[in-house]
Formats: sequence, C-alpha cells, structure tokens
Amino acid sequence: MTASISLRGVGRTFGATRALADVDLDLEPGVIGLLGPNGAGKTTLLRLLATALPPSQGQVRVLGRDPEAPAERTDIRRRLGYLPQEVGFPRGFTAFAFVDYIALLKEWTQPAARHAEVRRVLDQVGLSNLVTKRIRAMSGGQRRRVALAQALLGSPPVLILDEPTSGVDPEQRVTLRTVLAEIARTSIVVLSTHQTDDVAALCERVIVLDQGRVRYDGQVTELVRQAAGRVWLADQPDPAATVSWRTGTGRYRNVAAHARDGVEHVEPSLEDAYLLLRRGSPENDPAKEVAS
Amino acid sequence: MSVTLAPARSEAAAGRTTFVALAAREMRRFVVNPVFLFAVVMTAWSVWVGRSAPVTGLGTGNWYPAILLGGFGMMATFWLTRSMRDSEPVVGVTPTTLPARTAALCAVAVVPFLCGVLTLFAFLHFHPAGARVYGAFSPPAQVAVLVGQIVIPSLGGPLLGVALGRWVRFPGAALVLFLVIFGWVNVATFPTLWHPDSAAFTALRLFSPFAFFTYMKNVADVTTWRGSPWFFLGWQLALCAIAVLAALLRGADGRVRFRVTRTLQIVLVLAAILLVLASAGGFPHAVTV
Repeated sequence: MTASISLRGVGRTFGATRALADVDLDLEPGVIGLLGPNGAGKTTLLRLLATALPPSQGQVRVLGRDPEAPAERTDIRRRLGYLPQEVGFPRGFTAFAFVDYIALLKEWTQPAARHAEVRRVLDQVGLSNLVTKRIRAMSGGQRRRVALAQALLGSPPVLILDEPTSGVDPEQRVTLRTVLAEIARTSIVVLSTHQTDDVAALCERVIVLDQGRVRYDGQVTELVRQAAGRVWLADQPDPAATVSWRTGTGRYRNVAAHARDGVEHVEPSLEDAYLLLRRGSPENDPAKEVAS
Repeated sequence: MSVTLAPARSEAAAGRTTFVALAAREMRRFVVNPVFLFAVVMTAWSVWVGRSAPVTGLGTGNWYPAILLGGFGMMATFWLTRSMRDSEPVVGVTPTTLPARTAALCAVAVVPFLCGVLTLFAFLHFHPAGARVYGAFSPPAQVAVLVGQIVIPSLGGPLLGVALGRWVRFPGAALVLFLVIFGWVNVATFPTLWHPDSAAFTALRLFSPFAFFTYMKNVADVTTWRGSPWFFLGWQLALCAIAVLAALLRGADGRVRFRVTRTLQIVLVLAAILLVLASAGGFPHAVTV
C-alpha cells in the first residue's frame, strides 16, 4: 500500500481564532516542507495530521483511515512518528529510558527487540554515546535529538516533524537530513521549519501557509524560479527592492516584487522566493501561485 | 528501506501485552519513588517499635500504615501520574490510549496493597486477634476491622493518587487531599465519642475512607462502636473502584467512555447501599467490655 494523507476542506478554530481554513492537500511519500510565518497554522496542521487534534470542519484521512474513529485513530498511531514543537521530559529519565518508554507505548513489548530499536534510533540522531545521560542535564540541541529519536522508532510510514532542527548544530543538521531523506523513500515526511535551507536541501515539495490558508503548494524549484530576475546585488540598498540587507561581503542583497534590468542578478534562493511570496506580489494573484 | 514497525497482532492481544509490560514498568518506577520508600521504611519501623507496646486501641498502631502506605502512597502515585504530563504531546499520540496508561498506573497499587497485607500479618503476629483490646467483635470481625484500617487504605490511597493526577493540575493537590482526609476522619470521629449510640453520627463516622470501630480508655474499658466492619469493607472497596473509574474516565472516548460511565453509575449506587448497610449493621448500640 502506498502511504498517503488527504485533507478535504479542513478547518480548525480555537474559540474565535481561525487557525486553519479550507485546506485541501494530498500527501505522498517524500519530504514535504511546510513554511510560513509564526501563527500561520503550521503547528495546527501538523497536530491534525498527527491525530493530536480533531478538525473543526472537513475530512482528514491518514493512510486511508479516519482519525476521528477511535479504533482507526489507534491504527494510524501505530504507523506514525510525531515530533511536536515542544516536548517536556520527565524528571530523572535518561535518553535511553525515555525513548524506551515511548517504544513500550508504541507496542514494542519484546525487551530485546525494543532495546535494539531504541539504540538504533539514538544512533541515528547521533546520541549513541549519551544514552545514559539524564535528559535534563543535556543541551537544548541534544534534547531535541532525543525527541526526534522517539519519532523515528519503527521507521514509521508517516513522520510528522515540527521544527526538527531547531537548536541542532550544523553538523547534526546535515546528518539528520541524510536520515530523513532515507526514510522519505517509503514514508511521508512532513517537515515544518523556519529554516528555508533545510527545505531547499531536503524537500521536493513545499507548502506555504499564511493565516491558516495554503498560499503555495508545489515544487521547491518552481517557487524559486518565480524569484528569478528579482534578486540582485548592489553597493547600496535599492529603494525599489521589497527587502534588502547587507551581506557578509559588504554588498546589499536586494529582493524585489518586480523584475529589474541593468543590475547584477544573482541566483535566487528559496528564502528569497519565500520572502517575495510573503511580502506579496501585486502581479501574482494568490490563486495563480498555487502550482499544479 | 524496510518498515520495522512493532509486529502486528490482534487488537486485544496487543492491548493486553502492552498493558502488562507497561504496568511492570510503572511498578518499577513506583517502588524506587523516595516518598513510597520512606513510607515502607516508616511502616516497618512503626510495626516493629509497637510490637511489644500495649495496644492502646485499634486507632493508634494501625493508623500509621494507613497514613504511610495510603497517604504517602497517594502522593507517590500522584507524582507518578503527573510525571509524563510534560511529555503528553508525544505520549498522547502513541497507540496506547490514555485510559490504558491510567489502567497500568492503577495496577501499581498492587505494590502498596501487598505491603499492607504484610503489615496486617505482622500486626496480627504481634497482637493476635481475640485479645480484649479489639473490643466486642468476633475474631473474624476483628480481622475485618484491621483489613479496613490497614490493607484497604494501602490500596485506596494510591488509587486516589492516580485519579487525582489525571484530573487535577495543582502540583500540591495530593498533599492537600491527604490533609483533608486526615482532618475529616478526625472530625467525623469526634461526635461518636460523645454520642456513641447515635445512628447519625455512626453514619457520619463511616462516611470516610478510614474509620475507627473501637475506643479504649484503658485495658479494662474498651468500647465497641456501632457499624458493620464487613459492610464498611465493601464501602471502602467501592470507593477504590470509584477512584479507578474516575481515573479511567479521563481521555476515554467512544465505547470505552460509555462503559466506564455506566459502571461508575452502578458503583456509586452500590457504594451508597454499602454505606447504609455499614451504618445500620453491627451492634445496635455501643458495647463496652
């Protein structure tokens, strides 16, 4: 069975606040990046996918199952790995003890197989030499990797990751990218992040959320292509630019909504494209921005 | 890449296996809890110290195990239940549901219960049933009084701690409840001291998870109060069941919620009946021997 997730007309409100509205998505195996500003609805969407939250309206199907039906929800959870944005750890637990406890809750009841799996995932996130260290004595990045390790248990067909590389050092980020790319061969990996370079390095597809709506859903390369001819370097900030900042070379990187001639164009990055999308381009109707 | 999820089994078999493994894990965590270890050590010490001392009434020597194993046990299970609260975003999306995790925590109460049984045996060894200090009850009823004062509180306190941990966010809730129950047992007992034949005060005294059945001024003057220790045991067990069901209700949905709610309603009615029977049973008036 090919792993798949579908959302149809999904919305979620918290009191008077609308966190998600009319979201339609179909997700297949691969790494899907989720970008958006704070409060865009990324975490809400991930919690919906992770069965941690029911939708206020619309229909969610994960691996063909309905998360609102208790038995089907349990079935989804057997095939799910979830890394929330914030994870607290119980006092006194070591990395091994915590991941082992979660493995038990994930129905790994045979001690030998469970312990081997716990060691495997801790090794994957580069914590094999810290298994007996108490989590509360670990650095923020190490704690984040412990939290990620529990999500990787059993190489689940659906992996939902909310800012997995937050606080993780560059070397480990590269290692994690390798791990996620490997998992994504057969699994759906949904990755929410503010790190556009992680999305650029890992994802073929990116979804941009803004104010609870899908602003862009398509290939990363297509989004980047939309910024072609709109990014250039200059010795001074260009008043025509939507955004400009001084780079490490002392020159200014200018990103504009409109293409500009007669300047030193550079290859746009995903960050440039994302900024353009966020700042809004008058010539781009949001409906047109959704790539097919 | 091959998918290496936990091996597929039938729903019920998976649930049972996970429950047993999880309950064993929680028991291991519970037995090393410093509060519980302190309670066990203090209980053993109190029984040992009191072995040769004259029993000045059943309300003294066996009051300590109820406080220690029951009261401190409640605080320990409350802490155990709350310990995973911060990890709920992760723990809450595992296939093991919240009621299943709660059931595993409730199973932990077997440990203090067994400690209570051992304490009862030790108490009976040092102060055999049939002695004058136990009042006018028959020897089996004397043992029933001791079971209600030593063993059942050792079970019920920890179960109440789990229920409290599931429903109350305040970190000091177990300590507050412990003090409330302690105070209530004392307050509910005093009127019986003044009016030992009063049916209303008997009901008030027994409307509690712990109750005294005798009062001894001295070895030659032991008063046995009204109330049936047997039905009181039933009332206490009903309270234990209510604690378990209240704990299980948290996070239950669908069919599980319906079953738990229905059972809770039945047990509440049963508890009320047992309290009435406990109050009406026993001696028709206080007996001094």
